Formats: sequence, structure tokens, C-alpha cells
Amino acid sequence: MRLLDQDPIDPEIAATLDAIDATLAGEPVDARYAELAEIALLLSSDRPQLPAEFARSMDERVGRRFAPAPDSAAAVKPPRRGRLTRRFWEAGGALAAGVALVVAIVAVAGSGGGASSMSSSSSASYGAVGTSSSAASSSAASSGVASTSARAPALAPAVASASNKTVPSAVGGPPPSVAGSSTGQPLQPPTTGRKVVQSAQLNLTAAPTQVDAVAQEVYNVVGQVNGIVNSSTVTQGGPNGYASFQLSVPSGSLPETMSRLSQLTYAQVTSRTDNTQDITNQYNATASALADARALRTSLLKQLANAVTTAQVESLTAQIHDAEASISSDQATLSRLNNQVNFSRINVDINAATPPPPIAHKSGGFGIGRAAHDAGRVLTVAAGGALIAIAALVPVGLVVALLWWVGAAVRRRRREQALDSA
Amino acid sequence: MDHPLVRSVGVTETDTLFRTGSGTGSWERFEELYRSSRDDVYAYVLTLLRDPAAAEDVTALAFERAYRRRRTFDRRRGEERAWLFGIARNAALDELRRRRRTATLVTDPSEDVPDANEGDGAEVALRRTAVQTALARLPAREREIIALKFHAGMSNAEVARVLGVSESNAGTLLYRTMEKLRKACNATA
Repeated sequence: MRLLDQDPIDPEIAATLDAIDATLAGEPVDARYAELAEIALLLSSDRPQLPAEFARSMDERVGRRFAPAPDSAAAVKPPRRGRLTRRFWEAGGALAAGVALVVAIVAVAGSGGGASSMSSSSSASYGAVGTSSSAASSSAASSGVASTSARAPALAPAVASASNKTVPSAVGGPPPSVAGSSTGQPLQPPTTGRKVVQSAQLNLTAAPTQVDAVAQEVYNVVGQVNGIVNSSTVTQGGPNGYASFQLSVPSGSLPETMSRLSQLTYAQVTSRTDNTQDITNQYNATASALADARALRTSLLKQLANAVTTAQVESLTAQIHDAEASISSDQATLSRLNNQVNFSRINVDINAATPPPPIAHKSGGFGIGRAAHDAGRVLTVAAGGALIAIAALVPVGLVVALLWWVGAAVRRRRREQALDSA
Repeated sequence: MDHPLVRSVGVTETDTLFRTGSGTGSWERFEELYRSSRDDVYAYVLTLLRDPAAAEDVTALAFERAYRRRRTFDRRRGEERAWLFGIARNAALDELRRRRRTATLVTDPSEDVPDANEGDGAEVALRRTAVQTALARLPAREREIIALKFHAGMSNAEVARVLGVSESNAGTLLYRTMEKLRKACNATA
């Protein structure tokens, strides 16, 4: 910018300017500047004079501090262009503020939906864990289960031979209701006619004095879903209190059961593991073997009816016995598999631990601690909202500033052009 | 001639001051500025626009704008007079732009030449007329610097601040314009 130009002025020019200033100050100047001095004096004496009428009018307006005159309010109305410019900037500012507000609200609302986002990410982790677990469970190939996934790789990923999901929850973390809301979401394997065995492991903590109460709650839940307590162990006694349950519940009730168990009043979820195992191929193979055995037995019975020698009869009888044994075995296997599919196994472990602050799920208890907690939450959310609003406003502000700067530069250039073309 | 397109200093709306604390002090400062600069602003604007009616409007508008923005004045960015003349300059240039949009102003410089003072001798009157004619034929940008220097009575530093150029640049502009005037006067003579 030329304003910062500190180039020294030419001495001749400086001397001339000094002479002009001296002339205007009434001081004598060197004879060589006489001509310029005369012109300077003539220019100075030719200054346009302010018309008296206008001077009076101006004095009055200034005296009124530019308030509109009572008889000519329109006379001092600012130029239309100025009003339009001001309105434009006001409208632009209001629009920018509105956009920023909307963006901030949307952003805050989006952050408010963080719980659902977390659920989504939880599902994502489920998939990830399931994949790794599938790899791990491939060690079960010897059992014939892995062959299922090997023979049906094109099926949906969730139909992998086995998968599990573990959702840990730190002790002293969110209250059971909160934990339940995040961990109690039912895990439903795809219902594509596949035979899927589901099981779950739930680890709970409870106050040492509440272990038996939690155990009773587990019994109640099992009863409500028509489940079975296969085995249970409940040990009371101070910090070493412990309870363990092996439950069987109808597979259709598994999600509900897990949800309820995750929201027990006096317990807190520390971890939860959901397992699924696809046994469709094993089931089909057994069913096929059963059909073959039955067909063989039918054939052997026909042959026995036509047998004429004792040796033939004895041989066929022995084969029939073998076939029937095979049929019985296959039927038992099918029955076991059906039972595994229809009933899901749940292992519940309850450990005594230092109790978290008592939280009443269904009561509206309110104290200083909870108030402080809520206040902290509110402040955190408010700070987050403010941060998001700032993040949204900064770019908007930058755009507005850029527009203002461009507008000012254009206006400045046009003014200078008007001066050049005048 | 090099005419950098830079902004007049002290005219931004983000400046601060003119305030001496109370509103009354602020008003007194403004009134003092008005009293000391009214005639100068009018002379400057008239020389620039060469239209008395428009000069009156622009002068009034400049003072009104200055009054409205008096709290945005920042002394660190220049003196009050330079700030005021910056506002007047912008208003005058806006008027020139408006004129250029609405109609082309056809002006015969000789019509703008005021009459010589009655008290002048014949030679002085002749010389004065030559100067007035030469001034009227100058481009607006050069008329402007003459107006700021000789009609508004500004120092070279103040002229530089109003034009938004360096003081040496303003001095050079003034020198060249004066030389141009001198040659034009001699040619007329």
C-alpha cells in the first residue's frame, strides 16, 4: 500500500513544496518560486465561498443534531440507495444469523442423537467381533460346523457358523437402566430358515447384601418367560457373595430375557456376551442320515420277509438292528439340535462388588448428588452445543467477512473510477 | 501519473472514538469540528464536483454521516479533519458515480470559471483568470488535490491521509499538479 511508502521525496520537489507552504503561511520565498507562490496565493484566495443560505440551513440541521425538521421530514431522509444498502446488509446479516442458528440447532440435534449413533457403532463392533470370532470358531471345523460356513460362503455374513458379541460395562459406570438400554438390545440372528443356536453370557455386579435379591430377580425373570433354571449357585456372605445361573429360555424370548436381566433393579451389568452358531448343515446331515437309515431298515425288512435260510434271516436281523440303532442315534441328535435351537442357554454370573450409588429405576428419587450430576450433564451438553454453534458460525462469519471485504473493495474501486472519469 | 487505488484513511465504520466519555463531550467535539471544517468541506466538494447544488447536498450528507459515525472515529488512524474529509470524499465520489449512471455531465470548463475579484488590478485579474481556467481544465483527481491543499487548507500529511497515499506520494502529486497549472497559466498568458 502506498500509504506505507517511505521513499524519500525528491529534494527539488521537497523544496517546491516547502516554498508553497511558506507562501501560504505568509513567509517570503526564493525568487525562483515566485511564479508558483503567486499561483498558490491565487488558488488559496479563490476558495469557493459557502452560500449564506446554505450555511444557515446547515447550522440549523446541526443544531437539531440532524433530526428531521418538523415541516420537512422527508427532506433529510437518507438517500434511497443508502437505505437499500443498509437493508441489504441487515437482511444479509439476519439471513446469515438464521442459517448459523439452523445449522447449530441441527448440529446439536445431531449430537443429541449420539445414543443411536453409539448403538450403530455397537452394531458395527458386533459385526467386527463376529467376523473375528468366526475365524476363531473355525477351529470347530472338526465338529463339522465350520464346514457349514465353508460350503455356504455366499450367504449373509451374519449366517456365519458362529459369532458372538461382547459388551463390557465398567463397574461404577452407567446405572443399570442406562446399561440396559445399551446392552439390552435384542440380538436377532437372521430368520432365513436356518438352524441357529443362540446363547448368552451375562456378568452382573451387585452389592454384597443384594446378591440374594438379584438372584431372586433372576428367578422371577426366568419364570416370566417360561424358562428353565438348569442349575444355580448362590453364595451369600460379604464381599465374596456370588451367584451363578445356567438358564434355558425359549429362543423367541431370548431378547426379552436379556433385556430384563440387564435391567435388574439391584444389579449392574459389567459385561454381556451374545453367541450364535449356525448348525443348519449339521442338522441337515443328521436328518439325511436318519432318512437313509430308515430307508435301509425298510429295505432290510423287505429282504427279511423274503429270506429263506436261517443264515439270511440272522444276517438281515443284525443289519436291521444296526439300522435301528442308527435311526435312534440320529433321532436323538436331531432332538438335541432342535432343543438347542428352540431353547437358548444363558449363563448369568453375579459378583458382589462395592455398590454404585443407589439408583431407583422406577422411583423418582432426587437428591443433591443427582442434581449435581444432572447439572454437570446440562453444562456439558450446553458447552458442546456452544462449541458446535461456534464451529458453524466461524465459517459463516468468514464468508460474511469475505463478502464484506469484496464489497468494500469493489465500492472503493468504483469510486476511484468515478473520479478518473469525471 | 500513478494513482494507487487505496482507501481513504480513517473512514472505516469499524473505527472507534470521537468519544470523550459522555455523549455531551462527543457532541461538543463534533460541533467544534463542524464549525472549523464546514466551509473547507464545501469548498473541497464544490471544486471536485463543480456543481453548487450537488456540493451542498454532499456537504450536508458528509456531516450527517460523520455525526452518525462519530463514535466509530479512531484517533490512532488519523486526525478528525482527515476522517471528516474522507467521509466527504466518499460521498462526493458516490455523487460522481451516481451522475455517471444517470447522465453524462457535459461541462464547459470556461463556464465554471468564477469572475475575478473586483479589487484586482488588470494584471492580477488576468492572472487570476488564467489560474481559474487552468484549474477548471484539470482532471478531477488533480482538482481534488488542489482543493484539499488550497481550499481546505490541509497540510501535505493530511492530504495524504485523505487520499490514502503516502505523504511523499501526495507531495509528488501536488508538485506535478502545480507544475501543470504553472505551464497552463503561462500558455494562456
